[in-house]
Amino acid sequence: MSSLQEKLEQYRQLFNDLAAKTKNSKEVEELKQTFLGRKKGYLTLLFDELKQLPPDDKRSAGEALNKFKTEIQQALSELEERCRRPEAEKPPTDLTLPGKKIYWGAPHPLTLFQKKIEKIFVSMGFSVEEGPEIETDYYNFEALNFPPYHPARDSWDTLYINDKLLLRTHTSPVQIRVMEKKKPPIRIIIPGKVYRRETPDPTHLPMFHQVEGLVVDRGITFAHLKGTLDYFIKALFGEKIKIRFRPSFFPFTEPSAEVDIECLACHGQDAQCRVCGGTGWKEILGAGLVDPQVFKNVNIDPEKYSGWAFGLGIDRTAMLAYEIPEMRYFYENDLRFLRQFNRK
Amino acid sequence: MNISYDWLIEYLDLNLSPRELAKYFDQIGLMVEAVKEIDGDTVYEIETYANRPDTLGHLGVARELAALFGLPLKSPSWPLAELDRLTTELVDIQVLDSQLCPRYCGLVVKGVQVGPSPEWLKRRIEAVGLRPINNVVDISNYVCFSLGQPLHTFDFSQLKEARIIVRRARKGETLRTLDGQLLELTPDMLVIADESKPVALAGIIGGEESGISEKTTDVFIESANFDPVSIRLTAKKLGLMTDASYRFERGVDINAAPLGAKMAASLLGQFGGKASRGLLDVYPNPRKPKSVPLRLKRVGELLGIEIPEEFVVRTLTALGLKLNEQKPGVWVTEIPSFRVDLEREADLIEEIARFFGYDRIPTEVTPARSFELPADERQDCLWLLKEILFHYGFDEVINFSFGDREKEKIWHTGYDPIELQNPISSRASILRTSLLPGLVENTVWNYNREADGVHIFETGKIYFWEEDGKQREEWHLGLLTSGQREAKTWNQPARETDYFFLKGAIEDLFFYLGYEAPSFEPEDHSFFQTGQAVKISIKKEPVGYLGLLKSEIRQAYGLDKLAYGAEFNLEVLFDRQPRPFAFAPVPRFPGVVRDLSFLVDSTINFQDIYSQLKKLNVPYLERFEIYDRFEGESLAPNQVSYSVRFFFRHESRTLQAEEVDRAMLDIISQLKSSLKIQLR
Repeated sequence: MSSLQEKLEQYRQLFNDLAAKTKNSKEVEELKQTFLGRKKGYLTLLFDELKQLPPDDKRSAGEALNKFKTEIQQALSELEERCRRPEAEKPPTDLTLPGKKIYWGAPHPLTLFQKKIEKIFVSMGFSVEEGPEIETDYYNFEALNFPPYHPARDSWDTLYINDKLLLRTHTSPVQIRVMEKKKPPIRIIIPGKVYRRETPDPTHLPMFHQVEGLVVDRGITFAHLKGTLDYFIKALFGEKIKIRFRPSFFPFTEPSAEVDIECLACHGQDAQCRVCGGTGWKEILGAGLVDPQVFKNVNIDPEKYSGWAFGLGIDRTAMLAYEIPEMRYFYENDLRFLRQFNRK
Repeated sequence: MNISYDWLIEYLDLNLSPRELAKYFDQIGLMVEAVKEIDGDTVYEIETYANRPDTLGHLGVARELAALFGLPLKSPSWPLAELDRLTTELVDIQVLDSQLCPRYCGLVVKGVQVGPSPEWLKRRIEAVGLRPINNVVDISNYVCFSLGQPLHTFDFSQLKEARIIVRRARKGETLRTLDGQLLELTPDMLVIADESKPVALAGIIGGEESGISEKTTDVFIESANFDPVSIRLTAKKLGLMTDASYRFERGVDINAAPLGAKMAASLLGQFGGKASRGLLDVYPNPRKPKSVPLRLKRVGELLGIEIPEEFVVRTLTALGLKLNEQKPGVWVTEIPSFRVDLEREADLIEEIARFFGYDRIPTEVTPARSFELPADERQDCLWLLKEILFHYGFDEVINFSFGDREKEKIWHTGYDPIELQNPISSRASILRTSLLPGLVENTVWNYNREADGVHIFETGKIYFWEEDGKQREEWHLGLLTSGQREAKTWNQPARETDYFFLKGAIEDLFFYLGYEAPSFEPEDHSFFQTGQAVKISIKKEPVGYLGLLKSEIRQAYGLDKLAYGAEFNLEVLFDRQPRPFAFAPVPRFPGVVRDLSFLVDSTINFQDIYSQLKKLNVPYLERFEIYDRFEGESLAPNQVSYSVRFFFRHESRTLQAEEVDRAMLDIISQLKSSLKIQLR
């Protein structure tokens, strides 16, 4: 018994000596065969010896042997691992050298900004809805109270697929789709791609992103619209931002409003400002109380319910927030541009 | 619309400087886009809305300001120098289509001396951005930009038989316009004709022949009202947009026509013109004013603030409405004909809010009666997917949804693309049927701008016609990896991307989203090099593909470096429930580890080996790891060596070595029969 223990100790010593000398995977494999070889491995032979021991000794010796085997296996796999990485060098003496970096991909700025917007509304109990980008005239215009052949349609210059189908010019058709299938209370935002037949310039492209908001319930007022948008804009641009509501026209809201924020480039101080044209204000969204005709189109009684809606261009608002001068930067996908948003 | 300060003064006594006035426009929704000084006058460039044709004239804008400031609106008088002949004796007017022309007023003015306009008139014309032409034309523009009532003036002597017939065009008729274009007319278009032929395209543009010239002495003034839809359809069809058509398609005040004619005739009087007696006014079906009910209570309910009754009455009255009180706080209002936009109570409430001031309406939190659970987890799932890819170092891109029909042909996406009827350009004439073309373009763009490697993804829709002719949009994920993935640093060499980097990211995507591991089967695909592509499926349902991009495709885009791409249908993923998550107890008894190295025939691929290992039916086998694989070296050419580590465990006791030995024997025998392995 003691002889087996002694042998074990010797082998352990031998293994450690040999292990220290291994330089490549071939030598590690040889070491492995020497100890664990199926027929003549030292350990294999020791296990054979074990069988001849009296049962009383067998147990403790067996445990010791198994422990040793595990040790060797572990040491061997560490050696193998080390050999596989010949580059692994000794730890450097200069501990101020830069550490190892893992590159994290950058979210697209529009994704990032959309996420920011969603987060604010989700925190106010809104849920996020989606809808198709290929729409019918009914959902994109008629149900939203754009009469056929009305010049109001001119501001929503449309890309058509055929006489029946078009690319949605705003996210508003999703309002209709949601109100058709759901009864109030409704409290949603709708982000997505929209399309206009626009000649590209610094602030116009044929595709951009919008987010639409819609609330329908009993007793909803214009004051509620103002309060919610005021909170939203401050959450997005900071508490000190100046906000202005002014009357406007959209066929699907009545009363309608446009919301301006103070120009973040000049704060109204530069009469020649390129961002705001010297007005000191930048329009960021259109809003209003849901037009009674829109409610009628989806069988909601405008005497019982009221609601508000808004639509905001994500691209243009992100341009203001990040001071990006050209909308096309978003779609060029230059990595030197995109990767800056890694840190936002 | 350009609004001149001096012109406004004709209608109201403003005691504000031109600068100060600017900010009041914004307050009532007449957004000032620019302020210009023109010849000593201040001109405001105002954004007007499609439903407010009344603001397309100075009178309408003055009326808004009068209401805002509580000022009276002046109405200048237009005295006429008259002939002794009646209009009806001089000209015969027949309106054959009173649907398309509900009102037609006319006057003949004789003895006009055509010539340059006086200074005051030139200034007005220039203020609105037009070029002065002659006194007759300038006067008709002056009336148009005052009242919003377009006029047309004819050389009376050119009207055959002194007749005006308002009718639809006949097939084959043409008209040479004032600006020299030859229009081909169709019977859906309304024309002004004389005895023999059309002399003007009604409400849009006049004809060359009957136009005012230096020789004109007698003028026929047309001040009419035309159907908005008809004007719009005709103008669109012919690709014309004039100051007249712009106003008519928005709806001109039906009652402005008589004043327009008189105003022009009176002004022509300054140039020797004498007007025929009695305005000829063809108005067979006079319109009744619209009446709209209004409840004071409702105003407060919708605006969220009580508005004083006195304010409501004063404002609406100043805007030209008549309020007939039914009972306290309830009225029936009579809408003036110039306000074509006011039809419902909500429209009146907007007027009240506009003049009350949006800034005086309080800001309140929108109350919520209930919160709803999200309809689905798509949004969260999509964001998690992106985060996994960020972790792998993929940057996110967003491309236009448009595709280049010719370029997409190289890809053979297999989808029937949706074509646009009126695309921005031929290079964006279809909707994309794959995300990869965009990703390849992004890659080339970045290689041309100093990038050493490009690793990008996009989530977005592709679009196509289904076989039954219905349009379909499908959420996809596209991935592309090319070139250097890690730059050289002091302790690490530069690393290039490869197929397995992309495959690893995809495998992890499925894992972390909670889906079962997909299967990868080698299968050629039109995007990829032959023999270098795999199809990705979940439970036999194909979800995407992955491979090395075809060199022909790379060449077509000028992409020199190798690139690996993948594309998935996310709908298939999102439609599947991720595996429900359940906690598994941490093992309490130690496990046993055994290694096995074996050789298999090289025709058997990893996935087959893996799936056979997965199928092993052996007691206590907890899991396995394939930790080594090699070929070549000492092995026969048709052999591959694998090393697998097996983990055994019993959940309620320590395993005996013999039990594990037996299990290993079992494994070996099962693998011998399924994979024909040879032990090493």
